[in-house]
Amino acid sequence: MTDPAFTPAPAAEAAMVHAGDGTPAPAKITVRDLNFFYNGFHALKGISMDIPEKKVTAIIGPSGCGKSTLLRIFNRIYNIYPKLEAKGEIVLDGENILDPKYSLNRLRSKVGMVFQKPVPFPMTIFENVAYGIRHHERLGKAEMENRVEQALRSAALWDEVKDKLKQNALGLSGGQQQRLCIARGIALKPEVLLLDEPTSALDPIATSRIEQLVEELKADFTIVIVTHNMQQAARCSDLTAFMYLGELIEFDRTEKIFTKPNKKQTEDYITGRFG
Amino acid sequence: MSSPSMVNAPTVPADMAARNRRDARNDRLFAWLLAACGMIVLVTLVGAAGSTLWGGREAFAKFGWHFLVSTDWDPGTDTYGALVPIFGTVVTALIALLIAVPISFGISLFLTEVAPNWLRSPVGSAIELLAGIPSIIYGMWGLFIFSPFMSVHVKPWLVNYMSTQPDDGKVAWIPAHVPFIGKIFTSQYPFGGGVLTAGIVLAIMVTPFISSVMREVFQTVPTRLKESAYALGSSTWEVVWDIVLPYTRSAVIGGIFLGLGRALGETMAVAFVLGNAFQLSASLLEPGSSIASAIANQFSEAVGLQKSALMALAFLLFVVTFIVLLIARLMLQRLATKEGR
Amino acid sequence: MAGNSSLYLRRRIANIMALLLSSLATLIGLFFLAWILWETLKQGISALSPSLFTKITAYGEDGGLANAMVGSLLINFIGIAIATPIGVLAGMWLAEYANRSKLGSAVRFLNDILLSAPSIVLGLFVYTIVVLPMKNLTDGAITFSGLAGGIALALIALPVVVRTTDEMLRLVPSTLREAALSLGVPQWKLTMQILVRSARSGIITGILLALARISGETAPLLFTAFGNNYMSFNPIDKMASLPQVIYQYANDPGEGLHAIAWAGAFVVTMFVLLLSLGSRLLFARSKVSND
Repeated sequence: MTDPAFTPAPAAEAAMVHAGDGTPAPAKITVRDLNFFYNGFHALKGISMDIPEKKVTAIIGPSGCGKSTLLRIFNRIYNIYPKLEAKGEIVLDGENILDPKYSLNRLRSKVGMVFQKPVPFPMTIFENVAYGIRHHERLGKAEMENRVEQALRSAALWDEVKDKLKQNALGLSGGQQQRLCIARGIALKPEVLLLDEPTSALDPIATSRIEQLVEELKADFTIVIVTHNMQQAARCSDLTAFMYLGELIEFDRTEKIFTKPNKKQTEDYITGRFG
Repeated sequence: MSSPSMVNAPTVPADMAARNRRDARNDRLFAWLLAACGMIVLVTLVGAAGSTLWGGREAFAKFGWHFLVSTDWDPGTDTYGALVPIFGTVVTALIALLIAVPISFGISLFLTEVAPNWLRSPVGSAIELLAGIPSIIYGMWGLFIFSPFMSVHVKPWLVNYMSTQPDDGKVAWIPAHVPFIGKIFTSQYPFGGGVLTAGIVLAIMVTPFISSVMREVFQTVPTRLKESAYALGSSTWEVVWDIVLPYTRSAVIGGIFLGLGRALGETMAVAFVLGNAFQLSASLLEPGSSIASAIANQFSEAVGLQKSALMALAFLLFVVTFIVLLIARLMLQRLATKEGR
Repeated sequence: MAGNSSLYLRRRIANIMALLLSSLATLIGLFFLAWILWETLKQGISALSPSLFTKITAYGEDGGLANAMVGSLLINFIGIAIATPIGVLAGMWLAEYANRSKLGSAVRFLNDILLSAPSIVLGLFVYTIVVLPMKNLTDGAITFSGLAGGIALALIALPVVVRTTDEMLRLVPSTLREAALSLGVPQWKLTMQILVRSARSGIITGILLALARISGETAPLLFTAFGNNYMSFNPIDKMASLPQVIYQYANDPGEGLHAIAWAGAFVVTMFVLLLSLGSRLLFARSKVSND
């Protein structure tokens, strides 16, 4: 089934994409000519892409290609480090988030992030999830408990922790901690969820649970996932972006990237000719 | 669908705007508070130097440069000179280092290369314990236990074999033929204290500091460097002497300067055993005076110019220890930057 | 290859000599440690008696150290109470806000120098800025005071707390900071609520070690708290402290006072050693339970 709105080009414009049911999906985030520098080094070169709403977009590429760098621009976490500069536009819901006037607080309530290594806060499991909420909203006790339960259910962790909410989160296993971090992120009801190699520090069983979770979460969130594991990208994502040395080489439906990519570089990477 | 014309100026809901402002303000206040606390460290150092300089201004004004080289110390005629306490401070510290450096080196060698693994931690902790013992305990032990020991067992031996005025009149070979030795060990002082005793007590105090720096630093030498030397057939000692020491040279010097800084500023360990005599003597067995012990002994009752002279001494001590510690830190940092830390 | 074998022999001898000497050096160090601790124990325990804790120093040989112990507790408490908040906040500043700045490196550097600076000079500093002004302001009614002694001890404890807090906070992985900031949490909340909790056991150990360090300090107290032969709970009054009384008694010709001085030395040593050991054990145990 070909996709009429699809034009493979150097700056991919996947404004519409099918998830297999024929309905187009609007773009949630539009990146326009993004250039990123750290310490003078030109790390990201002229990236343009449209990330569709409520789909899973994977970013793959060899080490050092800039995929994590790109992801971390979406919630401007790079702001806390000196000598980092982003030029260009990233439009979320009609507003350019790179505009200095765009409130970081607001951005982070719309865009959540989960990191490679599970980093639970040194608090109880309940508090871990409630902490972020508390900063943005004033909720009564019952309401808060509801929100926490909701978040933990969505992260497929509720059944395992419902009896030990008051225990220290550091006592959970690695996979559970990562799901807790996901719960913590989605508790704020963001619209976009950024996952930076979320399973690279986990064992295969925990990994597959998280991949399952990603599949469930995309019903409610736009997900962008960075992974160095190609098979994971092939399994979990609807679209895949291949990056190399700071440039976006190809961006298309996952199925196409992994079976008939347009660019030779993509093909070489997929088939393992370089890594 | 997004297109260029749809990019609006950022809008922020009202309650979030208020919260943002509040957060930003709290962040600013917090940062300011923290920086102020950080500055207190600077204020303390500047204040210590400034206040002693200020307190010593009378003495500096009255005696000028002569203060540094005069051996007078007479409250009666109100004339004071810093040479005696400076001399005592420097000599006791040097004796301490002469003893402490080789011993610290031996200890760190033992703990990093010689001792079996199970022994390293307990022995290392035991040596660190020496650093935790308050200096007044060293003083007590020095005065009541070690000094008597020195006067009964060590001093008579030294006087008989190393001085030019032995008790039995027969001058031994060494003092007769080796220059200076005789003068260093000649003494009629009946007690066990004195410059040498104080130097030894200081050496024990300072050893754990130097050895802990050396140990830490020896352990940072990359194993592959040592392994390549072992692979060529070097013995443990040769690896240490030829590889480890040169690699860690600046930090080892830094550690030694750290020990020196501590030894110069130490009060109680020295005050109890130095004898508090305002005399300048070449003999190590004679009593003397150090800057810190002079201040400790005299300040509470001192008035006027004497007080100012003591403050002036304190200023000199502070400046000298500051410089020594500065050099120590710089040398320690050199190794750290070499490591890429 | 006869020449070679004598070379090997020489090298072997050198090696063995070095190993023997290093063991000897360690034995010397341990010997002195044992000697000092043993004597302190022996002399101290033999002079221990209940009156030590109940009578005051005004009675000299027939008295005890009660006022000195109370004074020490009060002065140490004041010292730690001042040094802890300032030191922890300063350490936070170094680790979170000034970590890569030139000013931050300079302060860190100077803090390490302050750590080893002569405590007697710090005592004179406090004398100049606390004791003298108080004397002038109150026309001599208040001169030396327990408060001044506490401030002097605070200046000695401060660099220890700053350094441990700084180091412990820098050990917290940066991802934890990013995770909190990603939730929109402001920097001050992140520092106070999350980072401090993460580094909590290390920071507390630093405070305890600072307390151990100031508990044995004598020289700065001589011209700040000065001493008091009677019991005093008033911080603006002159105050006795154990190290200061030990110093006084040891220098006195009377033998009876020497015994009391040893008892005091024993108490101080036990307190400092138990505090140091205890805090390190606490730290080690908390690390185990966290992993």
